Amino acid sequence: MILIHCPYCEEDRPEVEFTYGGEAHIARPADPAALNDREWETYLYIRRNPRGPHAERWRHAHGCARFFNAVRDTVTDRFEVTYKTGEARPGDAK
Amino acid sequence: MLEIAPLAVAGIDLTLGTTPVSGTVYGHSVTLSPAAPMVRWSLRAKDAGVLSAAIGRALPDAIGTHHDGIARLGPDEWYALLPEGSTLPVVAGQPLSQVEVTARAVGLTLTGPGAAAALGRGCPLDLARLTPGRATRTVFETVEIQIWALAPETFHVEVWRSFAPWLWHALAEAIV
Amino acid sequence: MSGYRLSTGGRIDRSRPLAFSFDGQGYQGFAGDSLASALVASGVTLFGRSFKYHRPRGLVGMGPEEPNALVSVDRGPARITPNLRAPQVALHEGLMAKSQNRWPSLKFDVAALNDVFGALFPAGFYNKTFMWPRSAWEHLYEPVIRQLAGLGDSPVARDPDHYDATYAHCDVLVVGGGMAGIAAALDAAAQGGRVFLIDEQDELGGGALSDLAQWADLNALKDRLAAAANVTVLTRTVAFGYYHQNFIGATQYLTDHLAPAQADGPRERLWRIRAGEVVLAQGAIERPLVFHGNDVPGVMLASAGRTLALRYGVAVGQAVVVMAAHDSGWRDALALAQAGVTVAAIIDVRGVVSADLADAARIAGIAVHIGSAITAVHGRHAVKGVTFAAGGTGRGARLACDAVLMAGGWTPSVHLWSHAKGSLVWNDAWGAYLPGTAIENCRAVGACAGAWDMGTGAITAVLPNRRDVRAQKAFVDFQNDVKARDIHLAVQEGMRSIEHIKRYTTNGMATDQGKTSNLNGLQIASAALGRPVAEIGLTTFRPPYSPQTFGALMGHHKDALFQPVRKSPIDDWAREQRAVFENVSNWRRARYFPVGGEDMEAAVLRECAAVRNAVGMFDASTLGKIEVVGPDAAEFLNRMYTNPWKGLAPGRCRYGLLLREDGFIMDDGVSARMADDRFHLTTTTGGAARVLGMMEDYLQTEWADLDVWLTSTTEQWAVIAVQGPRARDVIAPLVSGIDLSAEAFPHMAVREGTIAGVPTRLFRVSFTGELGFEINVPASAGRAVWEAIHTAGHAFGIVPYGTETMHVLRAEKGFIIVGQDTDGTMTPFDMGLDWAVGKKKPDFVGKRSLARPDMSAPGRKQFIGLLTEDAQELLEEGAQVVADPDLPIPMPMIGHVTSSYRSAALGRTVALAVIADGRARIGQTIFVPMPGKVIRATVTEPMFYDAQGSRLNA
Repeated sequence: MILIHCPYCEEDRPEVEFTYGGEAHIARPADPAALNDREWETYLYIRRNPRGPHAERWRHAHGCARFFNAVRDTVTDRFEVTYKTGEARPGDAK
Repeated sequence: MLEIAPLAVAGIDLTLGTTPVSGTVYGHSVTLSPAAPMVRWSLRAKDAGVLSAAIGRALPDAIGTHHDGIARLGPDEWYALLPEGSTLPVVAGQPLSQVEVTARAVGLTLTGPGAAAALGRGCPLDLARLTPGRATRTVFETVEIQIWALAPETFHVEVWRSFAPWLWHALAEAIV
Repeated sequence: MSGYRLSTGGRIDRSRPLAFSFDGQGYQGFAGDSLASALVASGVTLFGRSFKYHRPRGLVGMGPEEPNALVSVDRGPARITPNLRAPQVALHEGLMAKSQNRWPSLKFDVAALNDVFGALFPAGFYNKTFMWPRSAWEHLYEPVIRQLAGLGDSPVARDPDHYDATYAHCDVLVVGGGMAGIAAALDAAAQGGRVFLIDEQDELGGGALSDLAQWADLNALKDRLAAAANVTVLTRTVAFGYYHQNFIGATQYLTDHLAPAQADGPRERLWRIRAGEVVLAQGAIERPLVFHGNDVPGVMLASAGRTLALRYGVAVGQAVVVMAAHDSGWRDALALAQAGVTVAAIIDVRGVVSADLADAARIAGIAVHIGSAITAVHGRHAVKGVTFAAGGTGRGARLACDAVLMAGGWTPSVHLWSHAKGSLVWNDAWGAYLPGTAIENCRAVGACAGAWDMGTGAITAVLPNRRDVRAQKAFVDFQNDVKARDIHLAVQEGMRSIEHIKRYTTNGMATDQGKTSNLNGLQIASAALGRPVAEIGLTTFRPPYSPQTFGALMGHHKDALFQPVRKSPIDDWAREQRAVFENVSNWRRARYFPVGGEDMEAAVLRECAAVRNAVGMFDASTLGKIEVVGPDAAEFLNRMYTNPWKGLAPGRCRYGLLLREDGFIMDDGVSARMADDRFHLTTTTGGAARVLGMMEDYLQTEWADLDVWLTSTTEQWAVIAVQGPRARDVIAPLVSGIDLSAEAFPHMAVREGTIAGVPTRLFRVSFTGELGFEINVPASAGRAVWEAIHTAGHAFGIVPYGTETMHVLRAEKGFIIVGQDTDGTMTPFDMGLDWAVGKKKPDFVGKRSLARPDMSAPGRKQFIGLLTEDAQELLEEGAQVVADPDLPIPMPMIGHVTSSYRSAALGRTVALAVIADGRARIGQTIFVPMPGKVIRATVTEPMFYDAQGSRLNA
């Protein structure tokens, strides 16, 4: 069982308190009706599946109950960084 | 043939204990008892000041701590655990949420040198570091609980009503 | 007679004899013995049969590496544990052990014919032979293989033991309680942190237990450990897995070493340990040598001979021959001689050994044959002698002996190190892999790190022999019967990767996971491939280090504690009334309330009739409930649900339909607006957590600007549904503060007041089609209010009803159950719920998906009713529907039955179904093929009762 650093609790907490929430930084379109079917399909279903660092959503469901984002290496299962919802992926150009 | 009992039978007769169970866990003495009836509120606000003003009480600052019967569980979430008969003023139209959940949960108390060991059988937190004044939501195996560290070797455990019989017996099982 | 008990020595207590049995024969050992040592002391050489060839096998090692001496220990019919390693079974009074993989007896085993025809079963035999014809699998290959496969037998009765589990946290965890591990634990303890030291044996000391010279030091260190308050020592505890971030799984064996009558408390305890630093001191395992006849019972590791003599006071034989490729074999021979065991000879394959060793052997009177190798072992059930030859090639000489000890060098135990993905580095001096760079905060000490003086040795697996390797019975993996020639064959047939060689030959795949065979297999593959060992790689080490019981892994989750069964506040009452229950999600719910000898059908017909004709009461407490509070509550719900919410007046209720973003129905429920900024939502019983999670997701991550919060109130409220034409009459005397008249309190409204003196949120809603109320009271008052209503209802003929009746009544009305009538691919239009979709709303979750062409394409399954032509024919839920039953099989299936019941109100059966273009088929006949018959049914509107809704508005 891994430990995950919750950016809200500011603590390393056991994995069993968390739930996984899929790829991060996919915002729901402000006006879905303006998207054509292909664009909507991309929003709904198309996800990266990288070998290596992956930005993804987690929720400290049995802790502070907040969703947050994390960069996790899919090869080593290591969390490189976790950060609050709404913040840019660390290291990304603003 | 190995007979598998139907799932419906499992746990059928588990009932919440009503009298304390004392003994030792891994050689350390501990007492498990039902906590006194309490009043419970879930309190939510983005701005702690608005909430504090509305209820006329101070709120703990740090997530994972409690003070004067109120714990901060998350950035916008507090939980009040007050003596039976306590009231909170309820306001309307403000950017906050007050929901009374007195009947939603029951409280259990673990006291004694073995209290942390008893909880640590199913809770993955390092309870030695959950010092008095700390309070957090977490799990005991598959059941969500809150642990409030009230004093050295004394923990209050909040658990939703329907999970309480299982939790009581899961804790009591190891007390010999 | 081979083995025997030495008159002195060892750590056993000769004053405490213990009687035990093996294969029904009585033996005696002493307190402190293991099953293996006690049997060897009694002259037993034959411990088991090998897996594939059923060859007679004896003891090889005295630790977890033991591949052959697997036994079943019988502590009663429900407590038979197979595949225990005899050296790790602690002796207790009355122990009953049995050998395995033999029939009818260990000495005479029918399947040993496999051995006679061994040439027919080469590596890859199964892969090659059982290829075709396909039908032979079903009728021939599989039954025969199943008959012969497997090791040991499972207990046939339910496991009566219970198991404990716990988490633990420490600053330093030391795995392995040999001298290096103890020293590491004491060092760590001096730093003041929390220290755990775990070891799989019943006594700390590891290899030092078999070394008299270290006993004094060991005792001194144990005293220091006992005095260190911050050290927790766990013996009989196996660290079986090393997981991310220094999380170690370990099983502590609490009672297996005790006689059953003395065993009290949990049998095993699972330790889930999080450590700041892990120190691995797992030691090293001796390697066998690969030579013709190396599996004859009596051929074992030199370290095993030493442990038997020095720890247990047992001589492995009357005349022992040591076959060495490593100095440690000489040291063991000398230790044995000193302990009083007759060592007939040391044969060493090396051309040169150190003069110190040679001198010492000479002084001890041991014959020495340098540069020689055993070329044959004589005897079948026990060693009778060996033939050895200089260089392994000459005709050689025969030497009588009854035990052969192999000293092939040492393999550091890097299992846990490898679980933790630490790198491994090939070391020529050890002829083995040693720990390299750690990823976790972890270090290896002692022999498992290569930091131990084992002496030096030749790196050789296969002893020279003038016979071709293909003509030798030279075993690499004893348990799986892999011979050196099998590895050569695998290479010859094109296997190059060690992972492929492993799977083709099954080398290292037995219960011992290659503890004695991996390195030898690697060296043989290296020779066959003509490439250095370090280039071939190593197969992966995976947890568990040794086999573990399911019981330990289950921990608390057994029997009554298997999983929490959630019960409503009214459950006790239902149980007292002898309700029959069913599980819904993780809740237990009353399914029906039989009276007298009623079966379910009779009870449900009676309950249904009571609700339609008078009044019934139903425990709906398990419904999910969410309090939505804040200035933006209506805006939030408007975005989540398909229908509009902003215009809903306080005091009114609305049916809400929730889609996933892909447009398919996720959940539904009736919700009420309690105030401008407060809603009381309900969800399905099973959907409560899922719906709350989804709403939190949108709220936190998409619409964080909204001022609204969600609080689960599922368990705050007990919910009592009172339904039927007399519902109002029943509750009226109990309610105060609410005008219950139809004008003041219409269908789909909510009011607050009291009932039976308890504050209530009273909903006027109906899931039955009748006049109905759902009474929400705090859960703590649920049972009292329920009983008050039950008493008040007596005069009106009130009956309690369960989930089955609830299902029938709603089906008569065509109300859907999400998850029963829908399956995650149904849209509101498919389900005839167009009316619940706000046409004018610019957006809601799932709206854009509903506009996809596929979502309104012809051929989609649609929700309809079915009436069988035979009014008493009950369709089976899940049965497939076809348009033409005369087509050849497989005929096109156009849908399936989702709900099917006997309706008391209609005096016939009714069913709901989803079928392709269902609405266009209304009035048509469809067919439901069932075994032996085809059922004809007419497609109808999904509404069988009171289509105008006059009853619920009463």
